[in-house]
Amino acid sequence: MEDLGIKILGAILTTIMAFAVGMTYGGITRKLTARVQNRRGPTIWQNFIDLLKLQSKKSNIAHGFMGHMAPAWIIIAAITTLMFIPVLNGNLWFPNLTFHGDLIFLLYIMVFGSLGMALGAGQTGNPNSAIGVSRGLSQMVGFEIPFVLALVGLMVQYQTTSIKDLMEVQQQTGIWIMFSNPFSFLAAILASLGMFRYSPFDIVGAPAELASGPVSEFGGKYLGTMMSGGSIFAFIKLTLFVDLFMGGAGNGSDTGIWATLLGIVILLVKTFSLYMIPVFYGWVSPRYRTEQSIQYFYRWPLALGIISVIWAVVL
Amino acid sequence: MNSLFLILIILFGGAIVAYLANKLAPIVSSIVSFITITTAAVLFFTQVNTETIYQFTLGGIDLQWGIDYYTYIFAMIVFGLGVLASLYSIQYMQDKERLGYFNFNFVMAILGMTGIIFSQDFVSFFIFWEIMTWSSYLIVIYNGKEVRKIGIKYMIFSAIGAYAMLAAIVSIKGSFGTFIIADAINAGALSTNFYIPILLLIGFAVKAGTMPMHVWGPGAYSNSPMSFTTVFSGALSKMGILGMGIVLTALYHKAAINDMFGVMFIKQSLMWLGAITAAIATIYAVIQTDAKKLLAYSSIAQLGYITIGIATGTKLGIMAALFLAVIHGVFKGALFMVVGAVERQVGTTDMTKISGLIRKMPWTFLVALISIIALAGIPPLAGFVGKWMVYEALITETNSYFLVVVVFFASTAGFLYSYRFLFGLFLGQEEDDTAHVKEAPATMIIPMMILAVILVVIGAFPGLLIDPIANAMGVMGYTDVNFGLSTLSNVWGEQLNMQSIGMSIGIVFVVTFAFLSLKGMKGTKNVGTKDISTSGEIPYDHENMTYQLDFFKPFERALAPLYKRSMDKIWNQFGEGLEALFDFTRKFNTGNGQTYALYVVVFLVLMLLLKDTLFIN
Amino acid sequence: MSTNEKNSKTILEYISEWSRKHSLFVMAYGTGCGAIEIPSTMTSRYDAERFGIRGAATPRQADVLLITGYLATKTLKRVIRVYEQMQNPKYVIAFGSCTINGGMYYDSYNTINSLDRYIPVDVYINGCMPRPEAVISGFVKLQEEIAAGRCHKGEKYIENLEWYRANQKKIIKNWRMPDYNW
Repeated sequence: MEDLGIKILGAILTTIMAFAVGMTYGGITRKLTARVQNRRGPTIWQNFIDLLKLQSKKSNIAHGFMGHMAPAWIIIAAITTLMFIPVLNGNLWFPNLTFHGDLIFLLYIMVFGSLGMALGAGQTGNPNSAIGVSRGLSQMVGFEIPFVLALVGLMVQYQTTSIKDLMEVQQQTGIWIMFSNPFSFLAAILASLGMFRYSPFDIVGAPAELASGPVSEFGGKYLGTMMSGGSIFAFIKLTLFVDLFMGGAGNGSDTGIWATLLGIVILLVKTFSLYMIPVFYGWVSPRYRTEQSIQYFYRWPLALGIISVIWAVVL
Repeated sequence: MNSLFLILIILFGGAIVAYLANKLAPIVSSIVSFITITTAAVLFFTQVNTETIYQFTLGGIDLQWGIDYYTYIFAMIVFGLGVLASLYSIQYMQDKERLGYFNFNFVMAILGMTGIIFSQDFVSFFIFWEIMTWSSYLIVIYNGKEVRKIGIKYMIFSAIGAYAMLAAIVSIKGSFGTFIIADAINAGALSTNFYIPILLLIGFAVKAGTMPMHVWGPGAYSNSPMSFTTVFSGALSKMGILGMGIVLTALYHKAAINDMFGVMFIKQSLMWLGAITAAIATIYAVIQTDAKKLLAYSSIAQLGYITIGIATGTKLGIMAALFLAVIHGVFKGALFMVVGAVERQVGTTDMTKISGLIRKMPWTFLVALISIIALAGIPPLAGFVGKWMVYEALITETNSYFLVVVVFFASTAGFLYSYRFLFGLFLGQEEDDTAHVKEAPATMIIPMMILAVILVVIGAFPGLLIDPIANAMGVMGYTDVNFGLSTLSNVWGEQLNMQSIGMSIGIVFVVTFAFLSLKGMKGTKNVGTKDISTSGEIPYDHENMTYQLDFFKPFERALAPLYKRSMDKIWNQFGEGLEALFDFTRKFNTGNGQTYALYVVVFLVLMLLLKDTLFIN
Repeated sequence: MSTNEKNSKTILEYISEWSRKHSLFVMAYGTGCGAIEIPSTMTSRYDAERFGIRGAATPRQADVLLITGYLATKTLKRVIRVYEQMQNPKYVIAFGSCTINGGMYYDSYNTINSLDRYIPVDVYINGCMPRPEAVISGFVKLQEEIAAGRCHKGEKYIENLEWYRANQKKIIKNWRMPDYNW
């Protein structure tokens, strides 16, 4: 019973941490983008202020049951995915409900949120939402393939489908997978450019082209919930990448408060450095059309993925 | 009387009574077919067990009927879907004509499938296979539309498959002297000469829609009435899988060591054919505008997954294939019922003409939502369990890594047509020409809801279905299948607990729903779909603002090279080539008696000249 | 009402007003010739984003509606529709002299003379056109008004709807709009 209580408390703490970190990263990105463009930019906490304002709107418009539930699907998918990724390995508070054999499960549960939001956006009746959804789903076919190839390369090389085992392998051998299977890392990073929906793959939510696509009819508390869901998702993807390729954070079975804090700091440093890759690339890229973005993923990222599988089989 | 024989007699008698009852009133015919199938199902599930064997001799040939754990699984699909589809069909076919003809063939198709399940020797297998084929053909041409293109194509491909099977069966009798399936397998019929299993596989591949034999699928599935397509795509295609399972396990387990190259060739080619079927059929499903054709292509794609599973021949692979076979029957049956309900209420299934039915047909939408989530393979429903097992089988048990990527491509593109189906029929603007639509009647909703509930339950407790499958695999020669009520595991010792996944999703759903609904409840207002932000304009009522045409045009443009080659065109060109050849050989029949006399004389002269080489004393 | 209740209510309201002050989503709608000054306000030289001001694509997501200059009656109908689709609390900032007294087009048959009769306005910025510095000072004034609690004109619009509707219908001849949908 006490074990269950600690697990639930850990789950709540993880969710809060994911939310806070995701929103702060968004704010830091806005500040950095502003500096790159030679202006000052908002404060780092601007995303929180936006969220507070949206939640304090006095009237909210919904378009029906699916439209009402659309932000809820994203939060459900985000929290469920978070529960199954080990945030700090072996820690008492943050290991979550991770179990073995869960890389395939993660690939599918990440789609759950987008599909739910797509259904909600569909019910609003705005044709812009439908166009945005069709573009988003088509892009997803693009970036998922190199990502799966990279993951298959990892699974074959280490004969496991569990994230926890991959983290342990990295801690035992002391070499990050980033260096022992670099093609897999490259393919996954290029796929992640599509996942984070920064330039050049941001045609889904383009404000001026498409009236912001699927979120065009959501305002007030719905928009606020969607923003927080999006931030949690960003954190999830970053943590997944760090666990797979950069050795995760947290070491063994330390449960002291200083060890936990140290683990969190290391995790933040690693995820932030990984987050800067799509952000940097976005600063200098114009936007791709949908078919261009799909074909982009079927050139170099696909080739790198195939090479990573061959590398894993040969070695 | 032996219960197996009794079941078949009841079905046959019921078919005839249904045909005659059409004279009283058409609805009596449908009710009679429902009662017949239900009686047969009840009899089956209560009376029949694996010890029931029925042997008799007919014209000098020994026939044997019985059930084992393997065919029991397919019997579950056939009877389950048969009962629900015939209940659904009572009101679905209400205003149509020639119901006696329809119900006769419906029950005969069920009879054929039941016969196949009961057969334990090749002759009765073939007889019931043919009964199933022609009764389903007669329903495919029930509408009278495009008989030549769709019906004849189906018949030709089925005939090709059936004659290949017949050749193999006769060859088995000739070489090994028996028609009983178990004896033939033990004597090595299916594992010594490779042409026998290949011929049988061709026959089964036609029904199971594997490339390149799938071209009859889209037309046949979308052209028959939806209550029959439920059974057609849910159960009939699985008869091909049943056959493939028998042939492939015999091949893998009984083949000699030095034939391994041939076995490997068959296995790899079948797996790759399954993967290509899944991928290509999926991308064709994405660009469809008719909901029926979309589901038809999707059926072929899902059958591709099942073919891969069966072809791997490993524990997880076969378990995945059988699991997916059952679950595919459930969710495809439910989806075809949904489309039928929409067709009955609205009058068309063209997605460019319908939109916004969610508020008018909420129960239908709920069933469609659950079935689509299962089809896409998203946790926590049952489809995910099947897909998980397929991936694990491919990664851990066979070394086919690139196959995983093709399957994953098919699965991701599957999300596209899943969304398209829901959006095209139920979401979008609510237009005036669908304002009169009401919810489907209760006898059509109840079968759909039963199927949806099955999906949810098996999603949380997959062990309920895996238990019979493990028994079936024991019959096929695989022992020690690892499973629990809610957990699955793979060869590397990793596990998946569906119950905890389902519970965590459920808890988070309730909490988030409560938060979203209760916060700011006073200020939330529900508005109709006409009140959207159209840049300040107020649209007229007759302007349709739903985005339905060319929904996935960017996807189509990006993958344009894959759409250029079509198996349909290749078969058509092959057919035209054959026609040219036959045009040429037709010239021999001049109709002139003197030419025929010349032929006879030429033949006799040739015989005289070559008598030394042809007839050796 | 005891002191404790009054305090807590004020704290929650204080946080709400503070967050509304520092995060303004501006509806991306250029209604008149003054919209030429908006891009320079938003971009690097005069940087409105440091105040938390962002563009929003649809009225469902927006808080602030900018009426940038003269309003033809044709545009007025669309502006009213956009204003009504926004969610409470919402603010209107009016640019230029045309919104105050008609400005350069005071005797035109096609434009309106006084914006206040048709939708409620929170802040006027005078000039023809106001420079980006003037625009930013207008936003700062809006922030002060929000902090002082004087910006609840969205609800006032609902209360006085008949008066506003009478004025709107007098000037817009082909009235074909749905009822207000709050």
